Amino acid sequence: MSILSLHNVSKSFGKTEIIRGVNLDIQAGERHAIIGPNGAGKSTLFHLISGKYQLSSGRITFRDQEIQNRPPYEIVRLGLARSFQVTNIFPRLSVFENVRCGMLWKQGLGYSFRHLLGSQTELNARAMRLLEEINLDDRADFPAGELAYAQQRALELGVAIASGADLIMLDEPVAGMSLSEAEAAVSLIRKITEGKTLVIVEHDMNIVFDIADRISVLVYGEIIASDSPQAIRANPKVQEAYLGEAALEDAGGNDA
Amino acid sequence: MGKFAAWVGYLIVLLGLPQLFDSVLAITILNQMAIAIVFALSYNMLLGQGGMLSFGHAVYFGLGGFMAVHALIMIEFETVYFSITLIPLVGGLIGLVAAIFVGSFSTHKAGTVFAMISLGIGELVAASSLIFVSFFGGEAGVSADRTFGPPFFGIEFFQDVEIYYLSAGWVFVATVFMYLFTQTPAGRMANAVRDNPERAEFIGYSARRVRFISFCTSGFFAGVAGGLFALNYEFITEENLNAVTSGRVLLMAYIGGLGYFIGPIIGAVVLTLMNSLLSNYTELWMLYLGIMFVLTVLFLPRGFAGFIMIHQTAWLRGKLSSLFLPYLITGMPAIMFGGSILAAIEMLHHDGEPFGFLFITLDSGNTLHWLALTAVAAASYYACWRSLGQLNAAWEEANGVGDPTERGPG
Repeated sequence: MSILSLHNVSKSFGKTEIIRGVNLDIQAGERHAIIGPNGAGKSTLFHLISGKYQLSSGRITFRDQEIQNRPPYEIVRLGLARSFQVTNIFPRLSVFENVRCGMLWKQGLGYSFRHLLGSQTELNARAMRLLEEINLDDRADFPAGELAYAQQRALELGVAIASGADLIMLDEPVAGMSLSEAEAAVSLIRKITEGKTLVIVEHDMNIVFDIADRISVLVYGEIIASDSPQAIRANPKVQEAYLGEAALEDAGGNDA
Repeated sequence: MGKFAAWVGYLIVLLGLPQLFDSVLAITILNQMAIAIVFALSYNMLLGQGGMLSFGHAVYFGLGGFMAVHALIMIEFETVYFSITLIPLVGGLIGLVAAIFVGSFSTHKAGTVFAMISLGIGELVAASSLIFVSFFGGEAGVSADRTFGPPFFGIEFFQDVEIYYLSAGWVFVATVFMYLFTQTPAGRMANAVRDNPERAEFIGYSARRVRFISFCTSGFFAGVAGGLFALNYEFITEENLNAVTSGRVLLMAYIGGLGYFIGPIIGAVVLTLMNSLLSNYTELWMLYLGIMFVLTVLFLPRGFAGFIMIHQTAWLRGKLSSLFLPYLITGMPAIMFGGSILAAIEMLHHDGEPFGFLFITLDSGNTLHWLALTAVAAASYYACWRSLGQLNAAWEEANGVGDPTERGPG
């Protein structure tokens, strides 16, 4: 059963068409990676799904509801959460506040000014448990902006999953990490997306082939293949796309 | 328990001050402080907690105040019948209504757009106040008499000290509610939207709606402050809703410290004191206020409250007292230097005529005075500069800088 479907999704900035008629089905419970060369439009695709950008044309359905062109806060309330490629947390709030804020809406507290957060015992305990999961419980009271880079990335994940969404989209979650940090982050991602649907954009092919059940390859705004990791590895079109990029770079060098 | 004790202490200070300072002047100043505290706290709800820089916050203060004066007039002419103790509530409701109207279009964005709209609305309302004379009373403003209302437990509010106790009660209640607001989901999300409006949208909150709620709440409490103003002065003019008043509340909140709940309270107290006391001694107090603001922005970006809070580490390590002497050694010449600069400014101002400065008489026509002043300035500057090393060392020692057993963030 597909939980998220993209039908002929297109996005242009001025005359430049970045996403060109993407069709994609994400099955409930799968770990789906989107890969592609730089500038293929992976992040743009994330922005379209999560409501940051408006579509030029096409439809996106999440659990049989059309979500295209709805504001991000409505989409996340339906259970579709995301993280960002560039760390996007609340720097002056404490680490604890960061994840608790992520939980507020799902808790049904909305814009309330009649509830005191201090007395939300169950919510506070849940926020602490999440901090333990992402190994930041000993940093709970630190301003989030003062954390080390890898810890900020872990918090970025924590804020994304805090809402308890069923579909989590992660945009290059291990970019800029050292090897050991990346390994820790990958096992963390596995752990916290247990039983959920995961859509991930990642550059590191080892991680992609390690984590994904299915891989879609995005090249110049089009999905050229969507298949199991083994099939993707063997796919001549994919090989061509990646090799082609290298060939193009060589050609550019010759022209100059 | 610590928090509860702090609130009790706050209430005791509020109620005890007129016992300690009972002169007519002191009560006048205390009343001004009470108004300023509520106003500055409401402003901080916008800028410090919500990240909205407003240049027109006096609009809600002023409109609340004008309506409060009109309500007093209505009480006087028995059009309505209620106790004047509720006048701040009238002001608050008008502030709220005005904020709902303006906030419906101004809270779409924070930053420059919000700031410019607030400036525009401020100018617009200030201009209207001279056009719609029947409500705003033109340049003379409107006035009323607070003593015509039904007595409140036998009190008829003839005296300023009675108004002070009433104001103190309102200040306490308003402070409690503004503090509690920071502890609610709406208040905490206001901080989140201030930090990162984009991410707030991706955790389920409309940044605009969050700002709107803060804006309206802030408008309400600004109106309450306006109501307190109306009760205290029994008149109000255009001056109370124009850009000067808006600028003053910005200064209070900023100098006090935006990031801390008590910051604006400190700022309100300090600026009210400067306003009323310093202005007795020198005509140049506005200049000094400006200098203080610039120095605060440059050297204490988190205000007086921030300056107090950076001592937390030393306090927790039990080393706060070790800073006392180093502060004194650097502070004395620093004060001397500042004082000699002030003396020079005053001498230029009182060109050619002798005037009293602290315990001495200075005369700009006397070359010896200039020479002595220059000597004091140079000597104190040198002493201050030389002492920075020991202060720095003491600071690092007190905060455990370089101590490998200390755990830093990260």
